[in-house]
Amino acid sequence: MERNIETAVLKKNRIKKNIKKDIKMRNIGTLYLFLLPAILITLIFGYLPMISNVIAFMDYDMAKGWMGLASPFVGLKNFSFLHESWFYHLSLRTINYSVVGLIFGFPASLILALLFNELRGKTYKKVVQTISYIPNFVSWVTIAGLTYMFLTVEPEGLINTIKVAFFGGERISFMQDPKYFLAIIVITGIWKGIGWGTILYMAALSTLDEQIYEAAEVDGANRWAKTRYITLPGLVPTFCILLIFALGGLFSSNFDQIFNLQNSVIRDDVSTINLYTYFNGIVNQQYSLTTAVGLFQGIVSFILIYITNTITRKLSDTGIF
Amino acid sequence: MIKLIKKSHKMKRSTSEIVFDNCNNIFMVVLALVMMYPFWYILILAFNNGADAANGPIWFWPRKFTLDNFTYVLNYPGLKSATFVTVARCIVAPIFSVTVCMMGAYALSKRFLPNRKAIIFFLMGPMFVGGTVVSNYLVIAKLHLLNNFLVFVLPGAFAYFTAVIMRSFIDGIPMEIEESAMLDGASYFTIFWRIIVPLSKPCIAAFLFFAVVGSWLDNQANLLYITKKSLYTLQYLLYLVLTSNESRSIIDMHSQQIAKRVSEMGNSANQPPTPTVIRMAIMVVVTFPILFIYPFFQKYFIKGMLTGSVKA
Repeated sequence: MERNIETAVLKKNRIKKNIKKDIKMRNIGTLYLFLLPAILITLIFGYLPMISNVIAFMDYDMAKGWMGLASPFVGLKNFSFLHESWFYHLSLRTINYSVVGLIFGFPASLILALLFNELRGKTYKKVVQTISYIPNFVSWVTIAGLTYMFLTVEPEGLINTIKVAFFGGERISFMQDPKYFLAIIVITGIWKGIGWGTILYMAALSTLDEQIYEAAEVDGANRWAKTRYITLPGLVPTFCILLIFALGGLFSSNFDQIFNLQNSVIRDDVSTINLYTYFNGIVNQQYSLTTAVGLFQGIVSFILIYITNTITRKLSDTGIF
Repeated sequence: MIKLIKKSHKMKRSTSEIVFDNCNNIFMVVLALVMMYPFWYILILAFNNGADAANGPIWFWPRKFTLDNFTYVLNYPGLKSATFVTVARCIVAPIFSVTVCMMGAYALSKRFLPNRKAIIFFLMGPMFVGGTVVSNYLVIAKLHLLNNFLVFVLPGAFAYFTAVIMRSFIDGIPMEIEESAMLDGASYFTIFWRIIVPLSKPCIAAFLFFAVVGSWLDNQANLLYITKKSLYTLQYLLYLVLTSNESRSIIDMHSQQIAKRVSEMGNSANQPPTPTVIRMAIMVVVTFPILFIYPFFQKYFIKGMLTGSVKA
């Protein structure tokens, strides 16, 4: 009799526990419904293009099959560009732009963040920061328009006027001459991105403990020592993660920027891989070849990200995976 | 007596520090000027008479002030449709995108969701091996999204990074609130709309702002997928004006309309503007709206980014 009551009570408790656990799992279908839009969009606009990359291995013909995916398979024929010299020059130029841009632009945000950190006066600091973020909210179309305005060879060009006034000589047609292009993209890139790039560093700086700084000050550290031994090490994780992404993009380039800054006169001498893909792939409809190029680019980017991630993991234990 | 003993407790700055501070301040002023001057230049040139602008460089103030350029630009019919498309796009796309990401983030924040890891892998996949320009184009073409307003809204709607940051934000909301709501009989939908969303306002505001700015500045969608004039955005219009003779057609179109008035007035100061100043005027119309709303949102997105990215 007693044992029956015991088992009955235990059973009742078990049912109660099940009901409580059940509350979260009840209507769990709703959560899947929450994820449905995200999954659908990823499927359609993420995986479908991924699968379509297979046209890099085909002699693409839009008419054959759904989306042309029944086109004849030609294996690695479209990858023969890897042997050709024009691709070699294109890649070299792309990497050149990326590396130079990286060398000047990447540390620039870090240095500016450090300088912001040293400013006294809260409102003053905020005002300068706000102003430095503004160029980021302007499209490359506008910036390219501005660049052409400033550098034009016409009498209204400001840079040329300054140059002639101070250094004499002729007005230079900056935008028609390929050799100035690298400097132009680096400078405009820094102008646009330097302020915005400081945000992540400032976020990281705000997590550093005030007390360490005070302790260092008691120990007699001056500002430079504090920066070197406290601030910089604190920024290393952010720096590494940003570096991984920057190096992963070494083989690509900022399409928006270069597309808007180039013109038909210098196009052949300043195009990067991205631009080549656009002009030949979309405009000239050479689908297979440019997909092959794009695929190659994607694979190289992934390898670069992986290598950089491994290195930063070994050196400072940070990484994105 | 006590006053005499009291010394300054401030640590004295060494000379090198004083020098550094002053240099830093000067540098900041220069930086601010360099950042702001191009915008000022657009503004003054847009208010300047065209023929006069071609005579020589203008530095700090319009040489010959005129409102003509804006008259021409604001009367351009293409501008009205482009404004409509751009504003529509900057409302629909951010709301849709933030909703999708937020809902996904909420679901992903539930650690007890079955198959959660598999779903995360699935959503992360395209980040590493993505589509190329061409394959994206083909997919969009086959989905009949070319020359369709939805091409502004759908493709970029879900970004895994956004969802991750939102998820870390949601993780900061205590589970007890949700549990007590569930005991009161609330469904996940109710919890989401009544509890999570109001508590995540800074995060949502920040991402809405980014999405609006991104939509306003985007040119790629037009370049790749749109050929219909009625779907041109403001940025694309600006692009056409800057790189082709679209500015010429703006001038010609309006000139015909006011030609009568000009000949009646016979005033030489009313000669039609040059393409250059028209371009500047359009730049003002396309660029300055963002510059005006940006300061109001700054505190939201700074806060949102700080909390979100530090957690992530």
